[in-house]
Amino acid sequence: MLDNTPKKDLKYVGKDVERIDVVEKLTGQALYTADLEFAGMLHGKVLRSPHAKARIKKIDVSKAKKLVGVHAVLTGNDLDYRVGLYLVDKYILARDTIRHFGEAVAAVAAETPAIAQQALDLIEIEYEVMTPFLDPKQVFDKKAPLVHPDLGSYSYVEAVFTPVPGTNIANHTKLRKGNVEKGFKEADYVIEREYTNPNVQHVPMETHIAVGKWDTGDRITIHTSAQSPFTVRNLFAHSFKIPHCNIRVITPYLGGGFGGKAGIHLEPLCCCLSKLSGGRPVRIQATREEEFSLLPCRSGLIYNIKTGVKKNGKIVAQKMTMYWDAGAYADYAVNVTRASGFSASGPYEIENAWVDAYTVYTNKPFGTAYRGFGHVEFSWGMERHMNYVADTLGIDPLEFRKINALRPGSKTMTGEEVVANTGSVTKCMDAVAKSINYGKLTAAELAREKKTGMKIGKSVVALQKAPAMPPFTGTVMILKLNEDGSVTGSHSLTDYGMGTYTSLAQMIADVLRWPIERIRLPIENDTDRDPYDWQTVASKGLLLSGNAAILAAKDLLDKCYDVAAQALRAQKCDLDHDAEKVFVRHHPKSHVTYKQMAVGYAYPNGNAICGPIIGIGRYIAQGLTNLDKETGQGNPALDWTFGAHGLIVEVNEKTGAFNIIKVASAYDIGQVINEGSVRGQAIGGMIQGLGTAMCEGYIYNDKGQLLNPSFTDNKIPTSLDIPEEIDCIAIETPQIDGPFGARGVGEHSMIAVCGALGNAIEKATGAVLTHMPIRQENVWKALQNRSGKKAAAKAAKPAKAAKAEKPAKAAKIAKPAKAAKPSGRAKK
Amino acid sequence: MLQNFSYQAPETLKDLYALLKKSNGKATILAGGTDLLVNMHNNWISPESLIDIKKIPDLKGVTFNPKTGLSIGATTVCIELINNKDVKKHYPLLAEAAHNIGSPQLRNRATIAGNLCTASPCADMGCSLLALGASVELGSADGVRVIPLKDFFTGPKKTQIKKHEVLLRIIVPAEMAGAKFGMRKLKRIKGHDIAVASVAMARTAKVMRIGVGSAAPTPVVTADLAASTTLEKAVAAAEKVICPIDDVRAGAEYRRFMVKEFVGQIYPELF
Amino acid sequence: MKITLTVNGKKYQRDASETKNLLHFLREDLGLTGTKEGCGAGECGACTVIMNGKTVNSCLILAVEANGADIMTIEGEAKNGKLSKLQVAFKKNHAVQCGFCTPGMIMSTRALLENNPKPTVEQIKQAIEGNFCRCTGYQQIIEAVQDASGQLKKKEGLKRA
Repeated sequence: MLDNTPKKDLKYVGKDVERIDVVEKLTGQALYTADLEFAGMLHGKVLRSPHAKARIKKIDVSKAKKLVGVHAVLTGNDLDYRVGLYLVDKYILARDTIRHFGEAVAAVAAETPAIAQQALDLIEIEYEVMTPFLDPKQVFDKKAPLVHPDLGSYSYVEAVFTPVPGTNIANHTKLRKGNVEKGFKEADYVIEREYTNPNVQHVPMETHIAVGKWDTGDRITIHTSAQSPFTVRNLFAHSFKIPHCNIRVITPYLGGGFGGKAGIHLEPLCCCLSKLSGGRPVRIQATREEEFSLLPCRSGLIYNIKTGVKKNGKIVAQKMTMYWDAGAYADYAVNVTRASGFSASGPYEIENAWVDAYTVYTNKPFGTAYRGFGHVEFSWGMERHMNYVADTLGIDPLEFRKINALRPGSKTMTGEEVVANTGSVTKCMDAVAKSINYGKLTAAELAREKKTGMKIGKSVVALQKAPAMPPFTGTVMILKLNEDGSVTGSHSLTDYGMGTYTSLAQMIADVLRWPIERIRLPIENDTDRDPYDWQTVASKGLLLSGNAAILAAKDLLDKCYDVAAQALRAQKCDLDHDAEKVFVRHHPKSHVTYKQMAVGYAYPNGNAICGPIIGIGRYIAQGLTNLDKETGQGNPALDWTFGAHGLIVEVNEKTGAFNIIKVASAYDIGQVINEGSVRGQAIGGMIQGLGTAMCEGYIYNDKGQLLNPSFTDNKIPTSLDIPEEIDCIAIETPQIDGPFGARGVGEHSMIAVCGALGNAIEKATGAVLTHMPIRQENVWKALQNRSGKKAAAKAAKPAKAAKAEKPAKAAKIAKPAKAAKPSGRAKK
Repeated sequence: MLQNFSYQAPETLKDLYALLKKSNGKATILAGGTDLLVNMHNNWISPESLIDIKKIPDLKGVTFNPKTGLSIGATTVCIELINNKDVKKHYPLLAEAAHNIGSPQLRNRATIAGNLCTASPCADMGCSLLALGASVELGSADGVRVIPLKDFFTGPKKTQIKKHEVLLRIIVPAEMAGAKFGMRKLKRIKGHDIAVASVAMARTAKVMRIGVGSAAPTPVVTADLAASTTLEKAVAAAEKVICPIDDVRAGAEYRRFMVKEFVGQIYPELF
Repeated sequence: MKITLTVNGKKYQRDASETKNLLHFLREDLGLTGTKEGCGAGECGACTVIMNGKTVNSCLILAVEANGADIMTIEGEAKNGKLSKLQVAFKKNHAVQCGFCTPGMIMSTRALLENNPKPTVEQIKQAIEGNFCRCTGYQQIIEAVQDASGQLKKKEGLKRA
């Protein structure tokens, strides 16, 4: 909640504060899951399918079981348990049917990794290879092979999702706002194009790892590198029908997540192996190659956008069709479809909007949560499309965005009204435009062009995202006062690098008026010891946990004031506090220190009152609703964080080589809590976004087998790949229900930089790219296609038809050039 | 590691030859290990034993003699070549090529000889040493033989090395000392990457050569061209020796285009 | 095979498995878990240690190859419980997020500063290009190294608009 403390009295909030969890990481003393030792621990290994779709004809593990040193061997036949966050469609190990390359078929637990590998090599499997379903756009083909023929029998969250049994549609999210056909008729131009991007891996530096221990009496202990310990516990409980209180999930230091560790992954398998091994702990750590196909990735997307626009630049109608290539299991993908569905138009007001977003099952490694939750994928298309429409109209793309930008009074696609404190995307765009001198080339840039022979292009793009979360998401923070007047916090938001814990400590320190060194928020989370948090995803942590932290600090103070009131025989309204004590405001010598009351206050004669002091803060999202399944209308957004990028690129028109000269990013985050952390998120996410834009992406053969399952051919940005200049700007339109006015920004930095690059390259050279990644070779190919496009585009600009009752469609539609890349479509 | 193998580290060439003869092809030479251990990690090879050659003094060091040229011992790592003053003075193309290999950590371990013996078509040292007309000296219990590098590669990841042989050193001819040079390596990112296409050119008063990587089953080189060869003829000569393919890294058409483009970029640097 | 080596100034004698790589040997046999495994194939640099004065990927070296070697790992960076100048600079400049790449990153930047006390930005980028970081985007790491080498003129901050 917005605090009325004058900014000058805030010692930590808004400043550049060093992180509280960094020393142990710098010395190598922080313990990640692989650093933990467990008595009797066995090593688990997984046998993966080499085929994208196959029937398991025969599987014989007898030789593996006999190998000395092997304690457990499991196949799908042994595990009749299904798991699923929203749609329960996945067996722990494949039973009968393989659905993706790299799928887990069998697992062993052995005394050493080498023995485990030998055991895997002894497993004999006979596959009947089948034809995989690989192209999500074929989803309406009635002859397409089904990935899940039994889709109709799976349980799912009915309030939110709509699977279509008998098809490969795991979910169909619909949004219907206004009257799209009417809007198209009123438009002066109707412009349509398609944009695509492939599966991409999160690539956390620490691969997935879990240690499971299944003790007698069905008591389970799991150590795991996971973003959401309570989700692991909850899904485990549901799948295995074990009481929640018998499952303990502990998350130590985490080496990155980015959404890939948001759900449940290796944990059930580790525990099942442990159960079979008599309760010995079993550790499975994914190799980097397994990370690329055994563990899930980010869904691919084919995004078709059809925009009706007036000559003056106002968008009047937009039809958006999304085919999410979600892979073999629904996991988070159904929710990505839903959450991006309601946001798919970007930070622009669309009067008449129609969205059909399909989560399509394909025989590929499946998509899970990934930073941005669908927004990186669709923003590529949306921001490229905004430029396409603007260019067709002859309006500057930045102006075009500003004409249509959401502003106070606008309605989002779900019908939510934007107010002054929602934030300002226009301010973000103006800030980055200024930073890159948008609209012209400076003298230095002109000189650079002359010297290098390369062409410089600039673009500004915009973004928005709200947390994709249930409307009833809540969290708790507990603060325990220690004997020496320090405080130890307990909560289950995880910190896998974002720095949220430091921001929370800053907030607590400013409420308590304490030095931050006295606030300890241990990184490890334990579902037995720490209270509930839903998940650490969605950029909601700072807001919800921040509010909970403030409430906990206030509750702690309130309890301290209770003690002081009694001990000092004072009225609570006359009390105040500072770093050391609670005191009577008009008689400050009359005080009780925190140390004196931490574990109970004792009078000089030994009488005691009150007991150990604990502050509790609970906060839950307020006023949010589910979306109507037919119209997509509702109030799903905890907050909206708007942002923008400005990007300058230079391109070699001959070879397609390009260099990113500058990226400026601006986010309206309400209130900066920690400058260094905001900048870290802004730059880190932007570089991860550039990875998607420039070099990342799965490549399959026509059998659905992954051709680049390692760093050799799945490159990520290195220090040499970052822009020459990076600018980060914060706009602060306070979020009234945000802690000190803050909103989250964890995902936003990744969302729109891809579109910025594609637009800037096109601005510089006319090369049109509608698919990612944008490799040098792709730019070269697009450059070859250029000259055809320019000529066709000129010819295609239609004269405005005279108003007629039944306007001829042909006259109103700008024909995208046939010579452009295949994803552009000429429309009759 | 997950595989089972034995490890030996002979201290003399004689011991090495004996071990190689005894193992009859079942042993693999371990120099820098930066390709070998990756291949083992991926389970692409399973040697029964590894023979570490880094203790053998005869295989160490880089020496230059104005008459006989440059001699690069088999266990010379990239960073040694990059920092060697004779290399910097007389064969700077090799310093540049070695600098193109991998990351700093890899360059501290990877050997030039290993890069050649792995014989990937993308080998960074391949096209540069070919442009300089290098040879390799192979030794075994049966004696020593010298092969021109252009004959050394026989196919993707295949060389002329016999089962009981080891590469002793790489010889770069004296007549190429001081050659004008240039090299370009096409990568997918600016950070370390396997060459998607690479071109190295060297020119003396007498000869011009163009070595090309990642555009044929092995690193390849043009025939010896006249020192006065025109740009057009040079491009044609390069095109003649390549047959690029489409793969996950790039398309054949783009590789062909970039090879020609690189020749054009390097050509002025040779004069 | 019996090996002897020095790690962070301390002598160790062990009977090392011939098939174990140096990374696993350091972590499992010597209990030095600071060095991390990110890929096992010499790409990501999380396993970077300094061996005989040079940075190497310890996942691509057999433990037995390190017989007689002098090795530095992240555990040797702080002395007597005091953070080094480099570590302090990383802390000050927000160069650490999840921390998994940090040990390897510190080793690479330590080696850089020992050879080149005043590196340019380009030289810093070259020195760490074999250390992947997925969290920071590298910029604040570069600034930390500039700071540690006394070259950070003005602290690059978050702008407001």
